[in-house]
Amino acid sequence: MAGKVKWVTDIEKSVLINNFEKRGWVQVTENEDWNFYWMSVQTIRNVFSVETGYRLSDDQIVNHFPNHYELTRKDLMVKNIKRYRKELEKEGSPLAEKDENGKYLYLDFVPVTYMLPADYNLFVEEFRKSPSSTWIMKPCGKAQGKGIFLINKLSQIKKWSRDSKTSSFVSQSTKEAYVISLYINNPLLIGGRKFDLRLYVLVSTYRPLRCYMYKLGFCRFCTVKYTPSTSELDNMFVHLTNVAIQKHGEDYNHIHGGKWTVNNLRLYLESTRGKEVTSKLFDEIHWIIVQSLKAVAVNASPSLTSSTANDRILKYNLINDTLNIAVPNGEIPDCKWNKSPPKEVLGNYEILYDEELAQGDGADRELRSRPGQSLGPKGGRSRDSGRTVLTTWK
Amino acid sequence: MLQEESDLSLVIAQIVQKLKGSSLYAQLERQAWASLQRPEIKLESLKEDIKEYFKISGWEKKLQNAVYSELSVFPSPSHPAAPPEHLKEPLVYMRKAQGSWEKRILKSLNSMCTELSIPLARKRPVGEQKELLNKWNEMGTDEPDLSLFRPVYAPKDFLEKEFFVELGLTTGQLGIDDSTQVPPELFENEHVRIGQKVLAEQDSAAAQQYIRQGSPTALRAELWALILNISSQPEDILYYEQLKTNVIQHDLLVDSLIYKDVKLTASNDDYYFVFEDYLYQVLLCFSRDTSVLGHFAYNSASPPKSYIRGKLGLEEYAVFYPPNGVIPFHGFSMYVAPLCFLYHEPSKLYQIFREMYVRFFFRLHSISSHPSGIVSLCLLFETLLQTYLPQLFYHLREIGAQPLRISFKWMVRAFSGYLATDQLLLLWDRILGYNSLEILAVLAAAVFAFRAVNLMEVTSLAAAEAVLADLSTLKVMPLLQIFLFATVT
Repeated sequence: MAGKVKWVTDIEKSVLINNFEKRGWVQVTENEDWNFYWMSVQTIRNVFSVETGYRLSDDQIVNHFPNHYELTRKDLMVKNIKRYRKELEKEGSPLAEKDENGKYLYLDFVPVTYMLPADYNLFVEEFRKSPSSTWIMKPCGKAQGKGIFLINKLSQIKKWSRDSKTSSFVSQSTKEAYVISLYINNPLLIGGRKFDLRLYVLVSTYRPLRCYMYKLGFCRFCTVKYTPSTSELDNMFVHLTNVAIQKHGEDYNHIHGGKWTVNNLRLYLESTRGKEVTSKLFDEIHWIIVQSLKAVAVNASPSLTSSTANDRILKYNLINDTLNIAVPNGEIPDCKWNKSPPKEVLGNYEILYDEELAQGDGADRELRSRPGQSLGPKGGRSRDSGRTVLTTWK
Repeated sequence: MLQEESDLSLVIAQIVQKLKGSSLYAQLERQAWASLQRPEIKLESLKEDIKEYFKISGWEKKLQNAVYSELSVFPSPSHPAAPPEHLKEPLVYMRKAQGSWEKRILKSLNSMCTELSIPLARKRPVGEQKELLNKWNEMGTDEPDLSLFRPVYAPKDFLEKEFFVELGLTTGQLGIDDSTQVPPELFENEHVRIGQKVLAEQDSAAAQQYIRQGSPTALRAELWALILNISSQPEDILYYEQLKTNVIQHDLLVDSLIYKDVKLTASNDDYYFVFEDYLYQVLLCFSRDTSVLGHFAYNSASPPKSYIRGKLGLEEYAVFYPPNGVIPFHGFSMYVAPLCFLYHEPSKLYQIFREMYVRFFFRLHSISSHPSGIVSLCLLFETLLQTYLPQLFYHLREIGAQPLRISFKWMVRAFSGYLATDQLLLLWDRILGYNSLEILAVLAAAVFAFRAVNLMEVTSLAAAEAVLADLSTLKVMPLLQIFLFATVT
């Protein structure tokens, strides 16, 4: 059986299994010698927990980095970004430049956020500065929109206050840890509805950072018209776009599931707002992704459940392209094999950032801020090839 | 020579007459009066000076655009003694065909009316008016019971009519004299630059010429508005608001047809579902817009007439129904949907749609001999197929898969809902550029040519339809180019 990749998974999804089988890979159990293990989040946690001390051998690949939760858990993500920014500042990196009000010019992409209950008092101070603002509470460890709610009064989050009758601080279990962020209540609306972006990014290595963005990302629309009115704060169908939530709304349409491809979005924005603004938007989105990755790791559980027929096809192709990049030539992985994959195998992925390529371009590709303008990581990139080689940023 | 001159002066007179009633005329008059204050306007050379002033200030251009706009729907010169119906449609048998088609639609509408005991129109009670006003921006959330309504007709009904009409007309003039090029990167920047210049000049005719090569996405909304001569003036916005008020105050039977159509088509579309609410806002107002009646002067169709209750046959009590004279059919909302990608301001969206309708779309569902009429398009399509793909044509007919049965619905809808939005917009660029719908027939033939290999292998209508079911991945311009310029007889 030399040469056949042996795979295991604990997620019974056809989009995965069909992809493994079509490559002629051999299914084995986790106790046997395996090369490729597509693990559920729980398994990753167990496998890489400090107690087990499990180490992957040179011919094994898994689908998540051990520290993926650094970005999955909202509190860790916020901590990482804050820390990353401070580090850059210490180094004197131009990326960490600030404007006269102390706002980061290039790294201001996380709204004001606090950890609860730890930063409760800091939060209250901030809240009192603008008492009519709305804030969004998100549980640190959950996904798919679970447990999220909006508040506009301090009384609504009394339980996170650290004021407790007992004299010693009783540490709350991580289950109750939340992050609270300033809610952005003037989102871009299309057809009067709020939407978010579901983009797939594959990180094949961290050092050097090599990541790919799937070209066929999509937008998810709320079924109900957006209103910033406070009476609708409780209506999750207005504010949250996760399919898991929207699916239960009365108006949810099963034929299209309220989604647009990113290309549709681009067409609409270019048509109604112009090309420059649209290109800038997409550049900044890419920028945020790369910077966040640099700050740490990747989201744990993109939903592999397909809600519509088109969706199933998309996810199947996504996994297919992912496997082509992650397990080059369909051969048994070898951790010493560290080259960039050739363009042909990318499929619908495009290079988001390749550190090796970027560094190879010479030390003079520093971030150059445009005179008088402080927005955007343009540096030396030429406008019209914007879609292909994004590797010239640092 | 003399005849031409008098023909020309007749045309000029007619256009002047037409424009006299427009707001542009009033504005020009005001401007002329105001210009008397200016130092460069001298009494001795009043006429020339004012003309010069108009030129410099851009008003002449606006007038030019308006004249150009009128010319694009101007009927060809005819015999002075010809009765008005000849302007609508010169061929007698065509008129007869359209006449019987109209009778059929009306019968369908009337019987639905009687069966359901719903009036064609009624005034809404105040409570209902208030409710609708509140819901104006989210009519999509309404769930009226539409189960008993059925569309008055669908494209396939229209098609059966076509089998009877064997025309001797040859519609060889494709209207595509220039080479249509897919803009390669090298071409694109220059093309965009020219586009911006055209917009800066605000010249309709230049824009129309320019757009034959396609429009850059960022400039498209403005270019279409320029070509259609739409400029959102305060009175246009006011007019739209007035229509909205009409919707709030009165309920029409056709409203339910519109709701049903939107729910069945646009709401289920991958691209257009987002704009569902805009569609109601446009179509409900459209039904009540009596200015649309003007286009019946050059449309072979005539608006249905209805009579106030109890006054059947008495002309003084006759009204057109619906007020705009256009009965929506299944799929009608798909004419509006793609426009939502370009305009998000309701009154502008409305104006653009209305103009597109009275210039182009109406021809897709009325029987006439006009080269852009659906009948001519069908003939053109079949002729093209037969000429360039005779094997395929005969094969399909043999297996009972008449090509027109499949392509008809594409053409009636101007491909909306069948092509990807960006491709559709490129196609409609050319419709505007050439001021003709013939490109629809050419594209239909090109699609068949593209899938010819697969089509040659099918043995049933159902299988043929399956091969042609999904056009969403097609790239329009390469297809057209290959068909037009790479085909060898």
